[in-house]
Amino acid sequence: MSTPIKVLVEGVGPQGDAWKGMLQEKGFLVQSIEEAGDGLDVQFALEVTNSDLTIKRQRVQKLDQMLPTGIPLLVTTLAVTATEVASWTRHPQRVCGFGTFLPLEEGNLIEIAPALQTDPSILAQAATFFSALGKETEVVEDEVGLVFPRILSLIINEAIFALIERVAEPEDIDQGMKLGTNYPFGPLRWADRVGLDEVYSVIDGLHREMKEERYRPAPLLRKMVLAGWLGEGVGRGFYTYEIEKEGNYAKQS
Amino acid sequence: MEIKRVGIIGAGTMGAGIAQVCLQSGYQVFLCDANQQVLDKAKGSITARLQKLNQEDTLSNLNLITQIVDLASCHVVIEAVPERLELKRAIFQELAQVCSDDSLLLSNTSSISITEIAAGIPHPERILGFHFFNPAPVMPLVEVIVGYQSGQEEAEQALQFAAKLGKKPVKVKDSPGFIVNRVARPYYNEALRIVGDGIASVEQIDRIMTGAGGFKMGPFALQDLIGIDINFATTQSVYQGFFQESRFKPSRLQERMVQAGTLGKKTGGGFYEYTN
Ligand SMILES: NC(=O)c1ccc[n+]([C@@H]2O[C@H](COP(=O)([O-])OP(=O)(O)OC[C@H]3O[C@@H](n4cnc5c(N)ncnc54)[C@H](O)[C@@H]3O)[C@@H](O)[C@H]2O)c1
Repeated sequence: MSTPIKVLVEGVGPQGDAWKGMLQEKGFLVQSIEEAGDGLDVQFALEVTNSDLTIKRQRVQKLDQMLPTGIPLLVTTLAVTATEVASWTRHPQRVCGFGTFLPLEEGNLIEIAPALQTDPSILAQAATFFSALGKETEVVEDEVGLVFPRILSLIINEAIFALIERVAEPEDIDQGMKLGTNYPFGPLRWADRVGLDEVYSVIDGLHREMKEERYRPAPLLRKMVLAGWLGEGVGRGFYTYEIEKEGNYAKQS
Repeated sequence: MEIKRVGIIGAGTMGAGIAQVCLQSGYQVFLCDANQQVLDKAKGSITARLQKLNQEDTLSNLNLITQIVDLASCHVVIEAVPERLELKRAIFQELAQVCSDDSLLLSNTSSISITEIAAGIPHPERILGFHFFNPAPVMPLVEVIVGYQSGQEEAEQALQFAAKLGKKPVKVKDSPGFIVNRVARPYYNEALRIVGDGIASVEQIDRIMTGAGGFKMGPFALQDLIGIDINFATTQSVYQGFFQESRFKPSRLQERMVQAGTLGKKTGGGFYEYTN
């Protein structure tokens, strides 16, 4: 057996633990900044914070200082472009964007978005890395939220506007979309699975980037994020979930 | 009021499907169309489908009629004529005179405000939207649309009637696109925007939405199936209904395709080429 690939994973929010778990399961050696200490000899670094861009910026800059210049810095671009993240660093050519929504094991495809500054060899390494996880990849142009997180977030946003306007009850909105359009989940239930903070960071990021009314976040979404009602992971979102065992919730109503 | 007799106006795609659903649920059905040939064709297709299901005995409950006045004894009437406000209003005016005051008068409209259809018609509380999906015998959803003047009790009756038809109804306040056509808009519209902005190709987006998102069909393959003209018309109607709210702004790319007549599978090409 070849020696495992070492990956440094940083990120606050639901994606940090999810990526660590996924990589460990696939046989990668996962380290945090603290564990890696000074002797950084990882082959890849991931930064997967989405909801707090100040923290993301600090982490990315720290990683950029610590890591040898040739090591790819792969960053999620749900809330910000890869080009902007690259602009925070001294070695922008090594930064490459990617992203999807949780749960990671469900989707079989990861989107990769190179920054304007990304070196082609870094892009190639990013594609190899995600293929090694057993995922297909699509390389798309760099824009906030990529393709799947962006489209799903806007569907969820529209469902929340309809909810705010009392057009229908949450269960009826979800049932309508599942039965009327064959979606795998109703949009509100889907938001609870993905995490409302993640959904909000995509829509708010698009709104900030494009400066268009089209991407206005539904006010209730923002309020629920502020209230900490982030969905299944915390037991409460558009529905409530009963704690089954630690860290595991079952849908209650 | 116990519902026994159901009238259906318009024996086209939707009317014929709805008539079949009502027959299968044991109702006396009065299927009305202005055109006798359409009625005969509808009867033929209903017969064929019921035979396949071994339920042709219910055909004895099917009555074909050409005059709205013959719907007088119906407890429920479902209107499924073409999507034109004035036509629908004229039909509801006539129904209101012919049918009893406690009958339920339902419209299968997919985009016209039920409030506007019911305006000025005697006893508007009995008028509701009753939105089936195509094909009606297969799709389980019915959106029950509660207009500004619709009664709450009547809405409950309509929900119960939908359940009796074996459908899963949802209750929706009258607003543009109701639930499904409204909340589904970004699936098409944002995908079109992403193509327009050069972020990803049609094929890539379809692969991403099925591969990463678990959707059964990508937004472009789905538009080809639905018909790009139909999809564009729905977007325009929701956009107008929301007083040109920018979230619903139609796509120029889609408009060009409608102008070009490349409408999807039915014309042999849309976002993809089809050969048969
Ligand atoms: N086709 C769909 O996918 C679909 C889905 C949901 C809802 N709808 C709605 O259902 C309604 C009907 O759509 P469709 O696709 O079945 O249309 P269609 O054209 O197939 O059928 C309409 C029928 O109405 C008849 N008609 C016209 N004027 C009439 C009159 N004055 N009296 C009696 N009959 C008359 C016509 O002869 C025709 O047979 C529309 O409101 C449409 O928006 C359609």
